[in-house]
Amino acid sequence: MIAACVTPVSDETLVDYWSGALPPQQSDSLEEHVFNCPVCAGRLDAVASIASGITSLARQGRLSGIISRATLNQLQHDGVRVRVYSLSPGDVVPCAVFPDDDLVVTSIRGDFSGIDAVTISVSGSAPLVGVILDDVPVWAAQGELLWAAPGSLIRQMPTSRVTLTVTAAGADGQRIGEYILDHTAR
Amino acid sequence: MALTAVATPRYRQRRMTTTITGATDGDLARAIAAGAAADAAETELYHRFAPRVRLYGLRHLRDEDAARDLMQQVLMVTIEKLRAGAIRDMDMIGSFILGTSRMLAVNLKRRDRRRQALLEAFPPEHPALRAAAAGIDEHALEGCLSTLAERERTIMLLTFYGDRSSREIAQTLGISEGNVRVIRSRAVDRLRACMGAAERAS
Repeated sequence: MIAACVTPVSDETLVDYWSGALPPQQSDSLEEHVFNCPVCAGRLDAVASIASGITSLARQGRLSGIISRATLNQLQHDGVRVRVYSLSPGDVVPCAVFPDDDLVVTSIRGDFSGIDAVTISVSGSAPLVGVILDDVPVWAAQGELLWAAPGSLIRQMPTSRVTLTVTAAGADGQRIGEYILDHTAR
Repeated sequence: MALTAVATPRYRQRRMTTTITGATDGDLARAIAAGAAADAAETELYHRFAPRVRLYGLRHLRDEDAARDLMQQVLMVTIEKLRAGAIRDMDMIGSFILGTSRMLAVNLKRRDRRRQALLEAFPPEHPALRAAAAGIDEHALEGCLSTLAERERTIMLLTFYGDRSSREIAQTLGISEGNVRVIRSRAVDRLRACMGAAERAS
């Protein structure tokens, strides 16, 4: 049986340590603790596993959700085959996903000035029925949101129309735009 | 119940295993140094510390192969020192292993030393190495990531895949650094709970 830790290290400190953000002195103290505490060693192992798992999933294009332009560039640099569709408000864009596509990214453009976060409602056929992306952070100084979905997921869709409705998060729910993808199954 | 000649060794083996598993790190070190049940004690010590040394190696060397080399070297040096009675404070064996990890990691950064000999001494099929190498269930992680809020998932991705600091993420998202840390901590907690539930369900 493993004895409980009386001075557990916080998750945030473990993440800081793992990502190299902890000052050297604190880093040394944490290592001393971890090497003498199986409980915190196990928790650090979990953080490390999550970190490597996320990296591995990203490198396979198994990502869903909003990503930054820097992440998109990094994915392409890492050899992930990405198909990108760009839409402005009111656009109707024909689209398809090909067998080699690892990741499909939709660039949603619009005027996001003065907005911290948005809600994206997706309507279409399975598996994109009733998808709502809530509290999506809007990148400072960028007029786009990049919505990523694995190619394997989109390949399951029949030929159909996918509508993205973007509204500002919060009480007023200001409508930013509607974007339509006309998807052709292949 | 009288023990038969055949049953006795099995009984002793079972009892010894129970004792070793419940022993403190210092007890294990003393057992190895004394040569008492040394094989079982060495295996248990390896089981306990190999994953920690590997983590240390991954953190500082950023390479799975180098981390494994470090793990093998550190544990071998430790066991050799214990066998030779060269470690004074057995109750501080964890600190000794950390110190050895630090020292050898510096060497590993410079060159790949003794690799072949170590692989022969501690082959990759060693059970402790298999335990340390057990990776995360990516399918479960993929599902668990999808349960996070967009903001949480974004920050996790920027931190671990993008290698961005809290400050950089805060600037990108237009939120405070403290907020990034809080959201990230909550996301780690959720993922760990979700992965634990997925593991129990499988």
